[in-house]
Amino acid sequence: MKLRFNRKQLCIPYAAFLILFVIAPLFVILYYAFTNGEGQFTFDNLVSFFSSTNTIGTLIYSFALAITTTAVCIVIAYPTAYILARSNFKKKYVLLLLFIMPMWINFTLRITALKEILTAIEGNIAAYPFLNSVIGMTYDFLPFMILPLYTSLLKLDKNLMEAAQDLGASKIRVFLRVTLPLSVPGIISGITMVLLPSMTNYVVLDMLYNSTYIMGSLIGSYFNAYDWNNGSMISLILLVIIFFVTLITNRFSDKDDNGGREVIL
Amino acid sequence: MHRYKKALCVLATAAVAASSFCMYGCAADEQSTKVTLRVANWEEYIDLGEWDDEEMIDIDNAFADDPSEGVFGANSMVDDFVEWFNSTHDYEIEVEYSTFGTNEDLYNRLSLGDVYDLVCPSDYMIMKLLDEDAIEPYSEAFFDESTDENYYINGVSKYIDDIFVDYDWNKYAACYMWGTTGFVYNPLLVDVDDVSSCNILQNGDYFKQVTIKDNVRDAYFATLSIIYNDELLGIPSGDAGTEQRSALLNDTSNEAIAAAEDMLKNIKENVYSFETDSGKADMVTGKVLANYQWSGDAVYIMDEADSDELNPTELWYSVPDECTNLWFDGWVMLKRGIDGDERRKEAAEAFVNFLSRPDNAVRNMYYIGYTSAIADDMIYDYMDWNYGFVFDPSDEEYFDEELTEVYEYDLSYFFGDGYTLYVDAATLELGEGVHSTTAQLGLEDYGNDITYTVYSGGNIDRGRQLFGQYPTANVIDRSVVMLDFGDKLANINQMWIHVRCLDLLDFDPVVIGVVAAIVAVLIAAILLYRFRYRIFIKKYRPRKGYARVDMI
Repeated sequence: MKLRFNRKQLCIPYAAFLILFVIAPLFVILYYAFTNGEGQFTFDNLVSFFSSTNTIGTLIYSFALAITTTAVCIVIAYPTAYILARSNFKKKYVLLLLFIMPMWINFTLRITALKEILTAIEGNIAAYPFLNSVIGMTYDFLPFMILPLYTSLLKLDKNLMEAAQDLGASKIRVFLRVTLPLSVPGIISGITMVLLPSMTNYVVLDMLYNSTYIMGSLIGSYFNAYDWNNGSMISLILLVIIFFVTLITNRFSDKDDNGGREVIL
Repeated sequence: MHRYKKALCVLATAAVAASSFCMYGCAADEQSTKVTLRVANWEEYIDLGEWDDEEMIDIDNAFADDPSEGVFGANSMVDDFVEWFNSTHDYEIEVEYSTFGTNEDLYNRLSLGDVYDLVCPSDYMIMKLLDEDAIEPYSEAFFDESTDENYYINGVSKYIDDIFVDYDWNKYAACYMWGTTGFVYNPLLVDVDDVSSCNILQNGDYFKQVTIKDNVRDAYFATLSIIYNDELLGIPSGDAGTEQRSALLNDTSNEAIAAAEDMLKNIKENVYSFETDSGKADMVTGKVLANYQWSGDAVYIMDEADSDELNPTELWYSVPDECTNLWFDGWVMLKRGIDGDERRKEAAEAFVNFLSRPDNAVRNMYYIGYTSAIADDMIYDYMDWNYGFVFDPSDEEYFDEELTEVYEYDLSYFFGDGYTLYVDAATLELGEGVHSTTAQLGLEDYGNDITYTVYSGGNIDRGRQLFGQYPTANVIDRSVVMLDFGDKLANINQMWIHVRCLDLLDFDPVVIGVVAAIVAVLIAAILLYRFRYRIFIKKYRPRKGYARVDMI
């Protein structure tokens, strides 16, 4: 008996997983989203999403939170990644490790610890819900921003920068015209990895006492009231939004760049 | 290389074959002899055993081989049950024990097709399941008081049983734990007048210092008691008022829901958080001053705060003057799980009876801090052991000759006539109508000739652990069972979403307009920039005298 696998057969475990846990649930969501409690086809759920100022308000709030988080992440992560990637510092892997290490610890534990730190700094943390949520999410997602930036900056050809300098560009100009444009793919994949999850990561909000719902908690509240239909519709709309955001960001990203997911320490 | 592959393949095949054979074999084996009882209970709601040696509860245990052994949880309750059941019945069982976090969680799991035989939902969820005809009634044998092993029917407090009869739950549900709702608070930092009303939730003096439960039912109840504050305080005590009170706090009219929405928005701005579980820790660590809480968790919080190593705090429990939510968690059997299987039903009923056996009830009460529905002498002894006043001078650890004020705590509504407990009067806030006498209480038994001031009767609205576990009669008098929302659930949930979500209508239309305009302009600018060559490109016109050459 000779054991031979061709490529197609090797795909079987993944395909089975995909169908069972991704495709099939998607159809279930679709079914619930377009039916009412009695199982009849309806567009009511869609209409009620866009006719309520609450759901639209939640959508905007989620976006505001996610965009702020992403912006803060970029501001912190870019200089860090730049220093890590460009320096000749021998111990830079230790530094990188310091940024990656928090990812090894469960994030609810980290947020619990963060809660105590924030309480020590701010006193009553319930008074700054938006700020705290941004801090919490930044804490949570920062490594996801640093890693892709780090890899894309690491791959930069030093000669290009030297050439620019030789031709008389100032350091700032070199950065703005050479380094920054070439690191755009890293920025974009960092944005995808931070923006999208932070729109639904309501656990951070719960733990840091922000009592305003974001998309994730809104879906949860519908499921808690046994309203699978409206909950599914919101999930579906969220999915569509994520799809479009990914579509837009993909236009910018480098085709052979895998967004830092290959980093191995 | 190929040889290895072959070997690997043979090995894998053998493993798969062996495991499937075993699975088949085991399954067939179980079906013939073992009954699997599928139980779903709240998280942390049963004794899981492994107590430290010094945790032994030193009361007479009528169910142990030697009564002086006391009550001790060596193994988990479920394991003890399986062991006991298998040694006393002619067939074997095993228990598949799972937990749930909220009633809604349980209900969702049931509607998704999870099958359980015995579950422990709260009052309103029992009502909902009853409406859906999902509950299997208990058998006649379960209610046979002449059988000693029927610990539930022989032990359940008449007070609880009467309520279950009133609501027609008694044939379907066996009460497990019960309690009230109120505020845990720090007496040094919170004014008694403020914590005596749910209004503290929107009281600006406690801005961001009080927490409320993150579930719509408890929040709605507390809100209604603020809205109907005047009406509720005006209702006379006694049975006559019960119906009125119940009608007010189960008001799900559209006006009530709208009023609650407005008030909850204020509360949301004022409270520290809507908490699911974090309130306990925040109360103990002092992050918040008061916490709207279920009585069992209140007892847990008070215990924790007392024994906190860094900064022990004495916390109290207050039942608001307006009313309190009387709640129950009860064991119900599900039709879909039991499915007509007599042995399974017998095992389920045995499980309920086993939990109701007084020594086990004490173990569960000790472990989880809630109050069992069982009213037995042993439970009373346990309360006495816990909170009873120490008159015996030889008990060096607890006797204090400085303490001379005693309150005669009346538990007769629960345990039956004559059951009163002498407790330290300093652990209770003696309210209106409390009268006092003097007596020498320890002389006869212990030769202790201190003259005590004995308080009794009257109203007690605030106190420590005992008050949390067994409210006084005046609190019971203003307690209300909160019914299922029924078909108003969707409206109330919508109200909850209005409260919790950012509402565009809350903003000034001008602000929204300006922001929307800025966003529109930004998007337009980006698009213009992106497609600038297509839109603005100038047609290339060669200069005079030159010709245009198209390059390929």
